[in-house]
Amino acid sequence: MKCFLRSLTLLVGLFFYASSHAADALPTLTTPDDVGPVIEQPIEFPHFRHAGDAKDGGMQINCMYCHTYARRSMVAGIPPIQKCIGCHQSIESVRDKPRIQKLFEYWDAKKAIPWKKVHDLPDFVRFNHERHIQRFYFQQDRPYQEVCGYCHGNVKAMTVAQRQKPITMGWCASCHQKDHLVSANSSKTGHGPNDCFTCHK
Amino acid sequence: MTENDFNRRDFLKVLGWGGAAVALSGCGNTSIQDGQETVTSYVTLPSFVVPSISNYFNSTCAQCDAGCNIMGRVREGRVLKAEGNPNSPINRGRMCGLGQSGVQAHYNPDRVREPLLRTGDKGETITWDKALGLINEKLNGTKGAEIAFITGGMSGHVQALLGNYMDALGSKNHFSYEAISPAVLRAANKKAYGMSMPRYRIDKAKVVVSFGADFLGAWVSPVHFSQQYAQFRKGTRPEGRGVLVQIEPKMTLTGANADRWIAVRPGTEGVLALGLINALGKAGMSIPADVAAVSNEYTAERTSKETDVSAEQIEKLAALLKERTPSLVLAGSAAEGYAHGSQNAAAIALLNRVLGNVGKTVEASASVPFPQIAPTVGNRSSLIALNDGLAAGKYKVVFSYGVNPVFSAPASMKFKDNFAKADFKVAFAHYMDETALAADLILPLDSAMEDWATVVPEYMAAPEEAGSNTYAQMSFRQPMMEKVFPDTRGVGDILLALLKQRKADEYKPFDDFYSYLRSAVLKNKVALGGKAGDDDEVFWNETLSKGIVPLKGIAGSVSAKASAAGLKLPVAADADPSYPLRLIPAVSASIRDGRNANEPWLQESPDPLTTIVWDSWVEINPKTAAKLGIVEGDIVEIASRSGSIKTQAYLFPGIHPDAVSVPVGYGHEAMGRYARGVGANVFGMLDAVYDKETGELALNETSVKISKTGQRVIIVKEEGPVGGSQAGKPKIAVQVSADKVDLSKEV
Ligand code: SF4
Repeated sequence: MKCFLRSLTLLVGLFFYASSHAADALPTLTTPDDVGPVIEQPIEFPHFRHAGDAKDGGMQINCMYCHTYARRSMVAGIPPIQKCIGCHQSIESVRDKPRIQKLFEYWDAKKAIPWKKVHDLPDFVRFNHERHIQRFYFQQDRPYQEVCGYCHGNVKAMTVAQRQKPITMGWCASCHQKDHLVSANSSKTGHGPNDCFTCHK
Repeated sequence: MTENDFNRRDFLKVLGWGGAAVALSGCGNTSIQDGQETVTSYVTLPSFVVPSISNYFNSTCAQCDAGCNIMGRVREGRVLKAEGNPNSPINRGRMCGLGQSGVQAHYNPDRVREPLLRTGDKGETITWDKALGLINEKLNGTKGAEIAFITGGMSGHVQALLGNYMDALGSKNHFSYEAISPAVLRAANKKAYGMSMPRYRIDKAKVVVSFGADFLGAWVSPVHFSQQYAQFRKGTRPEGRGVLVQIEPKMTLTGANADRWIAVRPGTEGVLALGLINALGKAGMSIPADVAAVSNEYTAERTSKETDVSAEQIEKLAALLKERTPSLVLAGSAAEGYAHGSQNAAAIALLNRVLGNVGKTVEASASVPFPQIAPTVGNRSSLIALNDGLAAGKYKVVFSYGVNPVFSAPASMKFKDNFAKADFKVAFAHYMDETALAADLILPLDSAMEDWATVVPEYMAAPEEAGSNTYAQMSFRQPMMEKVFPDTRGVGDILLALLKQRKADEYKPFDDFYSYLRSAVLKNKVALGGKAGDDDEVFWNETLSKGIVPLKGIAGSVSAKASAAGLKLPVAADADPSYPLRLIPAVSASIRDGRNANEPWLQESPDPLTTIVWDSWVEINPKTAAKLGIVEGDIVEIASRSGSIKTQAYLFPGIHPDAVSVPVGYGHEAMGRYARGVGANVFGMLDAVYDKETGELALNETSVKISKTGQRVIIVKEEGPVGGSQAGKPKIAVQVSADKVDLSKEV
């Protein structure tokens, strides 16, 4: 009986194994494990225009000008529309661009923009932006684009953000296991916490 | 071996591939759900709000009348939890479980959401305009004397508005009712010390002897007293670690914490107090002549015979009290719930006088300088007055707010029938409770976390600093978030709208209760701790953010004038053989009088002594149970002359063999999904016996008989077998029965 069950499981497994080859027929992603899907957003926000390098026509705005909570809170935060309008009400040159018009429509209606989550961790994971920004940006004095980029990739080259890293536990742990400098002016190193409850509370 | 090689790991690997197939065709990775949920940003956001970081707003707990100052933790526009306000002299940063459950009153799915009108047996939702118009219509042509308003204990600006409304209607019929009220205590204190709510200083006493005052659980201001108790128990205190003696027929939470718990025969607490005075005299303490004249009769022998407390215990207790001063003697509901409750309380108060505690551990408190906002406290006699009026057909329009008399009145009062005699009954309701169900018009209220109010506590705690004898305080209650249900209204807003129907000109300047409150506070800026030149906006914001407004109160004074004159304690009558047991309705720390029974946290937090959840129970002494052949889990019928209930039996050594105890507050027939049908309502079966002096319901005067119904259940409770599992552990200390404890070692 036991043997029978075993071979049955094997068969089921083989079926799945075979179907995974079928999956190869799907459109291939560049690095299938890493990159997330393209997500349609209510407004196609051009990150490259805001954060991109000057030579590429970007304005080199610090990520944390808009995602201002990242250094103070668990979440980086999507800026309130108020923030967008704060600048855009005096940038006449792009006022009639469709995306900006859409933005003002939301603002005039005082309606929140239903952005889709690009990096959505399961509910049993607590990720804390503040800790990471404090450690790498403020203590180690690394450039902000590099620091945010550890997890978010090269956002300054994207329009709407797309996930670039697996953001799985193994991936997080692989970085937590590495030695990192404790601060910019010290040669001491340490690695990230390894306790279950740091992330799973 | 091929098959055996196929182990669990291989299986997972294979499955993993299968999983990958699903994942690849989906969103790239199984562990995250990109693009599924929205992350809606704000349109505008005040700069003090940071998503994921909580803001705290100071407010006041509304779960009981102690009025603890709390801080609501608010995140992303939702109140998540309440904490104690550390600057509060009442609760000093702490709260009780009942208070914690306030968020469940706020988010409760059974809240009334729209105004409801009854026509015959049917109810329909109507608009606020129609509801308020209807009240106006009914009141026009109704004389003031025909209008009655019943509320619980009240204070602050809502009370002031209610007062104005009653004046505008020309009605003097505001009845303030509390189902469980320390009315006897207030009256006895007034007589004995000159003020109804002095400040008790458990923290300063070396010995506390409490006659059934459950000050750690449900008595007057339990969080405040728990704080004092923590001080009292510290060995590092100059007075040393205090000794607590609890005297009561049914063990309360406080009794369970006591060094000695003495099971007194129900109703003989006053006798024991006088017996103690007599023993103190014998031990060489000087007893004032007028007291001695009464207490001399209570020899150790007689006292012991009447109270069931051994002469030896009385002597030891007297020795302890003589040795350690100051002490503090408290009287609680267990001693007061009798026809001679006031006499019991008076006898107990005499002890404080004899022991010289008045002025030391019984201190004067101050009262607020504005009488309109000073607390109106509730009692049972006002319910009787209302009930009599209703029975006589005196009242045509009756309003009710914050009380549930249909649930908590003894059945023999026939309150429900009498209530039905009024033409038009308006219930300001949070839930569709029993009283709301009996009303014609139901007005849905904001929760305490959505509403504005000011609160003045009856028990006025004070900070330790100098000048505390004039300390009085007013606390703010403020909304912590947007309304959960958009169509509810604050009680102040409703009263204001009703007042505008009567006195449009006077109340025109106020758009809502908020503006009324704000202008009333700003008008009295100086008395409320501001300076005349302070900017209004700044003062208002600062006051609100503190949540506590210290006031220069009117200092009271306490006097040791407790007199023994007229003190007469009945000799305990022999039990009626057809109703041989005494019923002690217990007030539990979480359910209390039952007004919060629809909060599931309260139902599921185990009773501290029996660990029972989600049901009523009857506590029976194992000896009594053995005689009646009752075992744990038997469903028994408890019958009094006025009614009966059925509930599960729990054998409990912490109860006098002549008594049984059932907690009040359970057994709702309405109110909501968590309260309805859970347990049995013991209020209904109480005999209508009242304290002779105050008219307060004598809670413990009901005699009952118990019979088995033949059904049995497994009680749902937290506790394991007696003593718990001791496997593999060194033997725990042998238990010493209470009367074998050598109290002299504690002297
Ligand atoms: S004692 Fe508990 S329920 Fe009562 S006011 Fe204080 S915290 Fe609230």
